[in-house]
Amino acid sequence: MGRQIVHRLLVSFPALLGVLFLCFCLLQVVPSDPAMIIAGPDAKAETIAAIRLELGLDRPIPIQFADYIGRVLRGDLGRSIISNRMVSEELALTIGPTVELMLGAMLIAVPLGLALGTLAAVKRGTLLDRLIMAISVAGVSMPVFFIGLILIQYVGFKWALLPFTGRTGPIWDGGLPSLILPAATLGLVLIGPIARLTRTAVLEVLGADFVRTARAKGLRETVVIVHHALRNALIPVVTLIGLQAAFLLGGAVVTETMFSWPGVGRLAVGAIVSSDFPTAQGAIMILAIAFLTINLLVDVLYVYLDPRLQRP
Amino acid sequence: MSVETLNAAVHAEESGALGRSGALRRLARDKVAVAAALLLTSIALAAVFAPVVAPYDPYLTDLTNVMQPPTAEHWFGTDNTGRDILSRVIYGTRNTLMLGLVGVVIGGALGGVLGIWAAYYPRADGWIMRLVDVMLAFPAILIGLAVAAVAGAGLTAVVIALVVATVPDVARVARGAAVGVMGQEFMEAGRAVGVSDRTLIWRYLTLNCISTIFVFLTLRFGQIILIGSALGFLGMGAQPPTAELGMMAAQGRDFLFMAPHIATIPSCAIFVIVLAANLLGDALRDVLDPRLQQ
Repeated sequence: MGRQIVHRLLVSFPALLGVLFLCFCLLQVVPSDPAMIIAGPDAKAETIAAIRLELGLDRPIPIQFADYIGRVLRGDLGRSIISNRMVSEELALTIGPTVELMLGAMLIAVPLGLALGTLAAVKRGTLLDRLIMAISVAGVSMPVFFIGLILIQYVGFKWALLPFTGRTGPIWDGGLPSLILPAATLGLVLIGPIARLTRTAVLEVLGADFVRTARAKGLRETVVIVHHALRNALIPVVTLIGLQAAFLLGGAVVTETMFSWPGVGRLAVGAIVSSDFPTAQGAIMILAIAFLTINLLVDVLYVYLDPRLQRP
Repeated sequence: MSVETLNAAVHAEESGALGRSGALRRLARDKVAVAAALLLTSIALAAVFAPVVAPYDPYLTDLTNVMQPPTAEHWFGTDNTGRDILSRVIYGTRNTLMLGLVGVVIGGALGGVLGIWAAYYPRADGWIMRLVDVMLAFPAILIGLAVAAVAGAGLTAVVIALVVATVPDVARVARGAAVGVMGQEFMEAGRAVGVSDRTLIWRYLTLNCISTIFVFLTLRFGQIILIGSALGFLGMGAQPPTAELGMMAAQGRDFLFMAPHIATIPSCAIFVIVLAANLLGDALRDVLDPRLQQ
């Protein structure tokens, strides 16, 4: 168990440094020299030089980078150029809605994907199986925004069933209706790959000796499928969900932008469009860290599901 | 055995999976695969010959004729500035396909070389695979956002993101295939008769891995197109008035309730392209390289 997680941490660390470096570069390319902005348009060269010295802009890049890491560790990500608020405050406000959206999407995608995949495997070769597989191939090929456009157009606008812009509040405070459409958009694209892999995994397990034993000792078919087959088929499926984390994150950025969902993805896109570099670097960093964390969690879950890995 | 005979033997092996007798015939029997291949070919042809095929100038605005639903003159209708959507979809497909292709080709080449080096030079293996692990830790959309933030939104940002999204997986697949080829006798024979490292890598190893890499890239192509168009949708890719399918969908979003076809037709075009690519990729894999199934 420990080894897996240590390996993941070892891999994550250089990745994290890479992310930090990219974000640091983002601050370096600010088109105008910060010292000149602070000094004002009529400042003398000496004043600008003095400010550069004060800000540490004259020092070598590696030292500035180390400085930057120090500031990030202290939670100081700079100030937004547009709203003039601290970037860390902006992130604190947006991270909750993003997590909410992703969890909502998983709550829709995982049970549905598992159910459809298992059903297809049990009814292998029938029309139902082919139908489910056709739907899942179509789902894999669907751009996230296409599903979003259709849901907004019909469920949101024509039938006026659910709200489709913004977030009315936390789930416990009447925010559930506004979460449904964004979460469904993001969840629907994930059902296809999950169903597909579940089908393969369940088919494989159904041929295993222990399933035959379970049937031979007279267990009901439902118990065999759910407790014996599905539980073991979950292992590859969890890996897949880890691999889909990148997809989930990318999809969240698109979904948030479409539904004006006040999350980190929308914050990042807005900041890039309006050249708000401090906010953009903070948001991108948080998204990258979220991605690494999801992968770490998947590794832990993996060990929990497959007790064989717990032995040293 | 002389070097010439050996080279000839390797060439026989080279034709590999793609030339394996019956593979194409089996593919031709799969009706879905044939339909997907035909569809994809005609889409690609229309994209290549866009100036000939497109009925109108994709940039010609006509303010007396805006947001028209599909008619006999404009099969896909017109957009908010009266441009012909069919012509824009054809040009947009051209740009979208081009992005995907450039991403897959550059990413495939880089990933392939990395994977084959890792298999050929055991000492580099650990380092290369660790680099690949690190690259895998970046979601493609984030790379696109970061590059767009640093260098400005544009096609370059999207291409870089697509390359980074392709390299690590290809490197893993190529390494797996190359490790298999390394164990074959002709590699040892080649080394024994003094074939140079370069020839061994390029002629013996690479040519024998290429069909596996090719099948894998076909499988990935659809996903790459989806990532590219998502970046276009977010405004990180092609800038107006250039036609690119993802960006066209994003622009049409503002008129969704008045004229839904402006956004849905480009989205639908992406869906059809990716679906055809995925179906063809699945069929190719089943016929040529069932090992890639996981």
